[in-house]
Amino acid sequence: MDRKCLLVIGAGILIRLVLFTAFPSLPTILAQRVEISTPVTSYKRLQEGIYLFTHGVSPYDGGVFHQAPLLLSLFSILPPSTIVTNLLYVLADVFSAISLIQIASSGVPTVTPHHVSPRKANTWPPWAIAAAFLFNPFTIATCIARPTIVFTNTIILHAVAAAVNGRRGPAFVSMAMASYLSLYPVLLLPPLLFLTYDSLKANSKPSIQAFSAVTMIILSVVLMIYFKLSHLITGSWEFVASTYGVHLLLPDLTPNVGLWWYFFIEMFDSFRAFFLCLFQLHLLIYVPSVCLRLRKQPLFALITLVGISSIFKSYPAIGDTGLYLSLLMLYNHTFPLMRYTFFLAAAILYATFLGPAFYYLWVYAGSGNANFFYAITLVWSIFNALIVADAVYAVLREEHETERPELIGKDVVQI
Amino acid sequence: MTLSFTCSHQWLPSLPLHILSRLLTLLLFLNFTGNAVADTYKEKLDLQPLSGQFLLASFNFQSHGPIEAFNKQMFQLFPRSLGQILQYTHTRELHLRFALGRWDSELWGAQPGDGQNAGGTGVETWAWVEADNDVEAEARWTSLNNALSGLFCASLNFIDSTRTIRPVMSFNPTGDYPTTNTSSLFLLHGSLPKEPVCTENLTPFLKLLPCKGKSGISTLLDGHKLFDASFQSMSIDVRPICSPHTGACDIEIQQTIDMVLDVSRSLQRRDSPVPRPREQHELICDTSKSYASNEYCYPMDNSFDLPWSLSDLFGRTISGGCPFAINLPVEETSHVCIHAPENRLKTMETHEEVYPTSTEGKPDLQCYMLRENVEFDLAFPKQQPPTTPLRQEPLLYAERSFTGHGQEHGGVKTVLRNPWPNDPIEVVYLESLPWFMKPYLHTFKARVLPAKGLGEEVISELYYRPALDRKRGTQLEAKLIVPPNSVVILTYDFEKAVLRYTEYPPDANRGFDVASAIITIPPQRRRSDGKLIPATSIRTTSLLLSLPTPDFSMPYNVIIFTSTIMALAFGSIFNLLVRRFVAVDEVQRMDLKGKIRGLIGKLKKGKTE
Repeated sequence: MDRKCLLVIGAGILIRLVLFTAFPSLPTILAQRVEISTPVTSYKRLQEGIYLFTHGVSPYDGGVFHQAPLLLSLFSILPPSTIVTNLLYVLADVFSAISLIQIASSGVPTVTPHHVSPRKANTWPPWAIAAAFLFNPFTIATCIARPTIVFTNTIILHAVAAAVNGRRGPAFVSMAMASYLSLYPVLLLPPLLFLTYDSLKANSKPSIQAFSAVTMIILSVVLMIYFKLSHLITGSWEFVASTYGVHLLLPDLTPNVGLWWYFFIEMFDSFRAFFLCLFQLHLLIYVPSVCLRLRKQPLFALITLVGISSIFKSYPAIGDTGLYLSLLMLYNHTFPLMRYTFFLAAAILYATFLGPAFYYLWVYAGSGNANFFYAITLVWSIFNALIVADAVYAVLREEHETERPELIGKDVVQI
Repeated sequence: MTLSFTCSHQWLPSLPLHILSRLLTLLLFLNFTGNAVADTYKEKLDLQPLSGQFLLASFNFQSHGPIEAFNKQMFQLFPRSLGQILQYTHTRELHLRFALGRWDSELWGAQPGDGQNAGGTGVETWAWVEADNDVEAEARWTSLNNALSGLFCASLNFIDSTRTIRPVMSFNPTGDYPTTNTSSLFLLHGSLPKEPVCTENLTPFLKLLPCKGKSGISTLLDGHKLFDASFQSMSIDVRPICSPHTGACDIEIQQTIDMVLDVSRSLQRRDSPVPRPREQHELICDTSKSYASNEYCYPMDNSFDLPWSLSDLFGRTISGGCPFAINLPVEETSHVCIHAPENRLKTMETHEEVYPTSTEGKPDLQCYMLRENVEFDLAFPKQQPPTTPLRQEPLLYAERSFTGHGQEHGGVKTVLRNPWPNDPIEVVYLESLPWFMKPYLHTFKARVLPAKGLGEEVISELYYRPALDRKRGTQLEAKLIVPPNSVVILTYDFEKAVLRYTEYPPDANRGFDVASAIITIPPQRRRSDGKLIPATSIRTTSLLLSLPTPDFSMPYNVIIFTSTIMALAFGSIFNLLVRRFVAVDEVQRMDLKGKIRGLIGKLKKGKTE
C-alpha cells in the first residue's frame, strides 16, 4: 500500500467519524430508512435481538429479529457503547477498502491465465478503487445506518481478496461466513472456486475436479462448525427457520428497493408458493450460465453475480448495490466499451433522489399511494439490471477484441 | 323434585304471568320444605347520580346452584345453553365482557365494582379451561369461542391464536377449586377491540336471565336506551364457589350491566326522537360573565339537576318483580336502590304500593323492594342547586395513546397517575398487541414524574412474549410500582408491518384496533391507614393503528410489471451470454434496400420466364 492509499483510507475514516459525531441523530434516522435497512439487516432489530437474548428470551421465537446467532454473540460481548459500535462499522469499511486495494494490486481484473486485457495499461490505480468505495454515497449511508450487511460485504471482499492471491482456506472460510450471515453469497461460491483455482501457481496446480472436491469438504466442515456454534449459542435450531426461512419465504413484507415486497403483497394466496420458488430459481439460474460464459475472467463472473443478487434477492438494500458498484470499478478499463454509461448513471441518480421522496409521499404525507414507491423500485431495479448487462457487454466485447484484434474500433453485432 | 321443577320451567312462558308466579312460588316453597337444594336468584339495580347530569345504572343478576346438579346437566335457573357449552369445553370459569364507550374517571370517579365487571372496548373474554396439556386447552378454548360466538351473536370465533394470550400475572381465578389440580387449569384470554356491541348481543344476554327481560329490573333493558348511553358494559361471569365450612360447592353465574346515562340527552330523546337544537327560551344563560349580553347566550350546564323518572330515562317502568327474585316468606331484599343525599327530595310515583327497605345505616341510600305484577317507577325531582354527587377517587388514572407520525414507525405512551398523597400502588400492566404491530422491547422505558432519585426501579417484573408473524400476537406484562402523588410514563417504539392485500379488512384505511391495556391492581394493604384495597382493574381505551396500505385495485398490474422487469433483465443478460460477436460486414444484413432489390430481382426473373 502506498501513501495515496493510506491517505484515501484516512479520509474515508475521517468522513465517517465526522458524520457520526457531528450529526448524532443521523445514524438513527438512516437506520430507519427502508432503502438502507431491511428486516434481515436492520440495526434496530439487531438491538432488539441482543436485548431479548441477554434477557433470556429467545429472539428467534419472534417476528422481529432475523439475523445470524454469531452476530448476536459478537454484539453481546461488545461493550454497550455507541462509540465502540460505530468504530466497528468504520473498521469494517476500512477492511473492505484494504481488500479492494489488494484485489486491484493483484492485477487479476486485467490479467488471468486465459485472458490478458489489451487495455491493462489504462486501469485505475488501487487508491482510486478504494476511493470509489469509501466515498460512494451508498456505502457511506450504509455505514452510518449500521445495518449488518456491512459485515457481509466486508467478508465477501475479504474472501475475494484471499482468492485472487490463491489462498483457498481464508477465501472459503470467509465466503462460508458471508453465506452464513446472509444466505445469498452462497451463489458466489462457484465463481470463487474458479477464481481461486486460476490464481494458484501453475506448477502446483491439481486438477479442477480434485480441487473443487477438497474445497467442498472444507466448505461443508466450516459451515457445520458455524451452525454448531450457533446452536450452542442459542440452544436450539429455531434460528434456521427464523433467519434463512425469512430470506426464502419472505414473511415480512416491509418495503425495500427490491422487486419482491410489493409483488408478494399483491400476490394471490394460492400462487404465493409457486412465485416464491420461481423468484429463488430465477436467481439460481444465472450462476451456471455466467460462470461458464465468463470462465476466462472468474472475478468478473463473481462481480456480475454480486450485481444480479443485489437486484433480485429477497431483501436487497443500497448497501448491496454499493458493493457491486465498488467491485465494478475494478473493471474500469472496460468502461469505454460500455454503451449507455451516461444514460444509466442519470437513471440511477433519478431513482436515488425520487425514491425517498415517493416513499415520503406514500407513508408520511399520504398524498401518494404505494404505487409511487413501487414504480421507483421498478426503475431502480431495471437500471441496475441494465448496468449489469452493459458491463457484461463491455467485458465480452473486450474478450472478443483480444481474440480478433482486427475488429478493434469496428462495429460488431451478435448472432 | 328438582326434575319436576325443570320440566315445569319449560312450559311456563305460555301461561299468564300471575298464575305462573303463583305456581312457581308454590314450587319454590315445596322445594324449600322438601329440603332439596335449589337454585337461588337475586337481582338488583343500583342508581347513582354522577357529576355533570350523568346517571350510573348498575344492573346485577346473580344465581347460585349446586354444582352436582350442574354436572348432571340438571339445570334449574342456570341457563342450559351456556351450561352445556361450559361442560362440553371443560371450562371451569368464564368471564365475558362487552363494552362500548369510555369510562371518564376524571369526571365520574372510580368504576363501579372496582372495575371488575368492566371490559375493554369491544368484546373481551377469559376463561380457565381444564385440560391435560396446552394443545388440548387451545382446542377447547377455540371450541368455547365458537360456541359462545353462536350464543351471543358476536364475532368471538375470530379469537384465534393471534388474538389469544396467556396472562401470567394479571388474572387470578376468582372461583374455588378444592378438588381440581391447578396445574391442569389453563388461563386463556382473548379480545376483539373492533367488535361493535349492539342489540344482537343484548337479546341473548337477556335470554340467559330466568325472567328473560319480561319482569323484574331487566324490563328496563331496551337496546335503544342501553346503546344510547355514554358508557355501557355487559358482563357474564361463571365460577364455582365453595363454602369454607361445609365444603359444598355451588356454581354461580353473575350477569351485570353498567351504563352511564346522559340524563339531558335521554330526556331530549323522549321529547323529540330527532335531535334538534334547544329553543332559545329553554337555554339557561350564564349572566355572570362580563361579556354576556342579551344577544348572546353562554349556556350553563349544571345550574340544577334535571327532573327525571325511570320511565323517562328507560322509556318504560319496571313491570313488577321477577318471581324468582322474590323470596317468600318475606325476607327483606331490596331490588332497586338509589344513592342520593337524604335531604334531597325523592318522590315515588307508583301505581300500587311498594315497600321501602332498610338501608343498613347508610343515610344516602334509599332502597325499594319490588312486588309481583306491581309496576314500579321512581322519580327524581328538579334539584336546585344541583346535588354534589358522591365521587369516589379512583386508585389510579390510566391513559394510553400513540406517539409519532407516519405509517412506518410509532410509539405508545401510557400515563399512570397515582392521585393518593401517601400510598404507593403496585400495578400489573398487561398489553396484548396484534402481530403486525412490532414493539421494540429495548425501547420500553418507565419514567417517573416528578423525578425520583436514581436507582429506584419502577418496573419490578417483566414478562414478554414476542409476536410471530401471522401466528401469535405480542404479550407484554409488567409489574410496577406507582409512587404516591406522581405519574409513571411507560413508552416504547414499534414498527408497523405491511400486510398482504388479502389480510386487510374492507375498510383498510380506517385502521386496525388495538385492544385496551389492562391494568390490574392486586389486593394490597394501604400503607397510610392500613386499609385493605380490594383487587381492582382498569382498562385504557383501545387504540386505532393505521398501517400503510397497498393499492388494492391492481394485483394483476403489479404481477405484470414486476414480471416484465425480470424478463427484461433476464433477456438482456442472457442475450449477451449466449450469442457471439461478429463484425458487421461478416453477416448478410437484410436492410430495406436489399429486400426491395431482392424482390425486384425475383419479379424480373418471373417476367423473363
